[in-house]
Amino acid sequence: MYAIVVATNIGIFVLLALSLNIIAGYAGQSSIGHAAFFGIGAYTSAVLTSTLGVNFWLSLPIAFVVTGLIGALLGLASMRVKEDFLAITTIGINFVVVAIFQYAPIFGASLGMSVSKPSLFGIKMDNLMFLILVGALIVAMIIFMRIIEKSWFGLALASIRNDEAAASSLGVNIVKFKVLAFAVGTAVAGLAGGVYAHYMTFIYSSDFAFLVSISILSMVVIGGIGTIRGPIVGAIILGIAPELFRFISDYRMIVYGGLLVLMMLFQPQGIVGNGSFLVNKFEALFGKGRKKSVVS
Amino acid sequence: MARLQQIDHIFRKDVISLLLQQIINGFMIGCVYALTAMGGTLIYGILRILDIANAAAYVVGAYLGWVIYATTGNLAVAFFLSMALTGAIGVLIQKFIYMPILNKPNIIPIVPLITSVGIFIFTGDFIRLLVGPEIKDFGVVLPFSVINLGKIVINPEWILIIIMTVILLSLLWFVLNKTKLGLAWRATAGDSEIAETMGVNIQKVMALSYVMGYGFASAAGMMIGVLYSSIYPTMGDIPSYKMLAIIVLGGLGNPIGTIAAGLVIGLSETLISAYVGSVIPRDAIAFLVLITILLVKPTGLISRKNSI
Amino acid sequence: MKKRFKTWLLISLVVILGISMFGCSQPAETPAAEEPSSEPAAPAESSEPIRIGFFAPVTGAAASDGKSATQSAELAVKLINDGGGINGRPVELVKYDDGLDTKQAVNIAQKLTTKDNVVAVVSGSYSGPTRVAAPIFQEAGMPMLSAYAIHPDVTGSGDFVFSQSFSGAVQGRAGGVVAVDMLGAKRISILAVDIDFGKTLSEAFTAYVEANGAEIVSVDTFGMPESEFSPVLTKIKETVKPDLLYIACYPSHGTEIARQSKRLGLDVQILGTEGIDSYQFLEVAKEDAEGVIITTNMNRDSESDAVKDYIAGYKAAYNMLPDMVGASTYDAFETLFKVIAEVGTEPVAMRDAIKELKDFETVTGKLIEYAPSRVAVKPVQIQIVKDGEFHYYNEITDDAIIRD
Repeated sequence: MYAIVVATNIGIFVLLALSLNIIAGYAGQSSIGHAAFFGIGAYTSAVLTSTLGVNFWLSLPIAFVVTGLIGALLGLASMRVKEDFLAITTIGINFVVVAIFQYAPIFGASLGMSVSKPSLFGIKMDNLMFLILVGALIVAMIIFMRIIEKSWFGLALASIRNDEAAASSLGVNIVKFKVLAFAVGTAVAGLAGGVYAHYMTFIYSSDFAFLVSISILSMVVIGGIGTIRGPIVGAIILGIAPELFRFISDYRMIVYGGLLVLMMLFQPQGIVGNGSFLVNKFEALFGKGRKKSVVS
Repeated sequence: MARLQQIDHIFRKDVISLLLQQIINGFMIGCVYALTAMGGTLIYGILRILDIANAAAYVVGAYLGWVIYATTGNLAVAFFLSMALTGAIGVLIQKFIYMPILNKPNIIPIVPLITSVGIFIFTGDFIRLLVGPEIKDFGVVLPFSVINLGKIVINPEWILIIIMTVILLSLLWFVLNKTKLGLAWRATAGDSEIAETMGVNIQKVMALSYVMGYGFASAAGMMIGVLYSSIYPTMGDIPSYKMLAIIVLGGLGNPIGTIAAGLVIGLSETLISAYVGSVIPRDAIAFLVLITILLVKPTGLISRKNSI
Repeated sequence: MKKRFKTWLLISLVVILGISMFGCSQPAETPAAEEPSSEPAAPAESSEPIRIGFFAPVTGAAASDGKSATQSAELAVKLINDGGGINGRPVELVKYDDGLDTKQAVNIAQKLTTKDNVVAVVSGSYSGPTRVAAPIFQEAGMPMLSAYAIHPDVTGSGDFVFSQSFSGAVQGRAGGVVAVDMLGAKRISILAVDIDFGKTLSEAFTAYVEANGAEIVSVDTFGMPESEFSPVLTKIKETVKPDLLYIACYPSHGTEIARQSKRLGLDVQILGTEGIDSYQFLEVAKEDAEGVIITTNMNRDSESDAVKDYIAGYKAAYNMLPDMVGASTYDAFETLFKVIAEVGTEPVAMRDAIKELKDFETVTGKLIEYAPSRVAVKPVQIQIVKDGEFHYYNEITDDAIIRD
């Protein structure tokens, strides 16, 4: 039971990390307020099911679309506001969104929001079923990202990431692809939010605070930005660490802080990012065939 | 009729003096914001990184100042010694953490950001483990008392803030405009490659950025500690991101822009919470102002081209 | 094909590594600080330790409350063990840090109910983590006492969940009684922190005040990290001019409100809540705290041995004064100890014994009983700051107030 619950919590963050990877990894956009979209999806689906009586399974795609649309707006804004300015704007959006969650009565305001447990074909969903749901979503996400990597979309994002001006001069439609990257990345985060809300049965504005955005970003970067395995490994490591290291829980934060600094000093490409120590050793072990990922 | 006019007149005078008081409130808060953000601006000017660890310097400075004041009883010594110590720590961090990272090939801007977050988280909890999570009293004996100008009240701590702000900004102006190193800083901030080819010692300039930057943050932290008579390990949480908003709003790397931005945010927050009430949380105000202005002027209040 | 295989191999290796390390981890057990030095060689059952679970926000934004709660928990366990345990069995504290994070609270609750072999749990945390953990304990049929988290959904999770503190509604009403009936205020301004604590208290306060002939002339809220109250205090001083200021907030806010209002010349009676029942408030606000009155649960001037022993014991062990958070936590443990001593550790028996508890003298006053909602019914203590310390001012025992 315990293992299932921990695995589900980690799984939700795997989804979040993968979704952020599309925006920050593939498209290279400084988006550090990702938890805002996690929250938008969570509250949207929560309001749908618990206030409006919509079926959970319908609320998920709706949350997906709604969050993606709002994310697309951010994508449009990113055309105007660049790099460091964009980074701060995304932080700002995180704060404003959380403030709305905290103050708007429809979201339960300061008392948070209670969410009813959903059911599948009449059976109330238990922890195992949630784990399966999250697992299925992760598999779908991985397949989806593989497709992106090999597609024209992926190539376009890579070119934007490497040199936006050059890409534009080559005729790549910057607006379309940036907006699409933001839309997709945020939509998946919203989807994860919907699952999270119904799994926790209680959401509160601070569940989606800036600190959570930093966690998600750390997972992506520690694992290896721009890869699929990176965010997965990062989310697993950072998700499992508090459980593994309960005996030094008092020092948890300084270990976390120190880990971030050490990783950036010695392995900024991530533990399993392209060109990392582990990956190089791994490839040496398993022979040649060193592929160059499209989005490395 | 005259009676009514009299009442009207008094009423308006009250309204004006209330407004003045609120403006003074906002101005004070803005000064502190400007000083807190100045550190980040100085660092950004040279290294082009958003240094959240500046907020760590803010907290460390407050605690160092507290300890030094407790041992010496002298506020001035506490201020300048803690600034020096924090500045020294800044140089070490710059040399052993940031330089190696920035020298790596192909790093994305998120990497130094994550590094600074790591330093900030580490420092905050280190202090908690060392001294405890409780609020510690930072009462100081100030040589001046409350000033009352009619109905307007100016707290002694605010007088301290004004004095320190003037001193520090003058110091900054002097260093940047009247010293060779300051000239080198401005040259590097304008265009680091050209500056280097002209013989500027980039290492020294960077060290200067960190000494001044962390020193400023340290002074700001101490000032807030004295203003609210309290210090606690998480006191850097709000400044860490609010200062980013102010730095960006001020045009990234522009000291004058930072002062302007700090005042704008300080005044907005105060006037909105005084006259509009608690419709939105204060933190959100800073970011709403930022987002609105950025959408209109995507390079901040004052663009980077200007310098002091 | 080869590339995909390598990627999956790498991922599965990491996952397997993680799970294996994870499966071997043990909870952070902390035996009581001083266990009896020798155990009699009695049959296993009668000397087997009684394990009680506990979680509090030791790291994160609420670290000082987490520390206070944890220290009180450890003190309670130490003292009971010094006295020989419960019916000869030592008590073992299984404590966790939830970092004020609901996700961690869920993990911890799952662990406590499935792996840690505890008989009951005390929550020393805020409403968020407590509220998500409560249903898990309820489903596992494990009694849980919430020390000071007062969100209604906590006890609403089911009949195994109890709250040691009176609800926000009770305390808000009590504040109203103090304001209107004891202090005779007619025009009152409210300053409340914008989380559930501030909201429920100010709502209940407003309801009572307005039903009893006084007026709420202004309500202002602020965020948890706020320290700057000059703008709103100036507004209150110049345009609102109340005769009482009701503040539903925490020490960091209370100190600044007290200090800044004095500085601005806003000389009005301040009525606070258990939120500022803390040495932090007294230490930082110093003389500006004089005369502040609060509704709370711990009477410093109590003649009761329970209170005196607790305060003295806490001071001796930690060199600091206890606060409301600590007292409530200690209280929860005392309740559990009493119940276990009477009926043993069978969950349903414990649950029923808690429900039946009557007139139990605790550190936080007389626990009259638990209401049907499973929230403790006890008198509200009114304390005043005199000479830098909290002292008895009054107390409210009126059923109409202290029962929801």
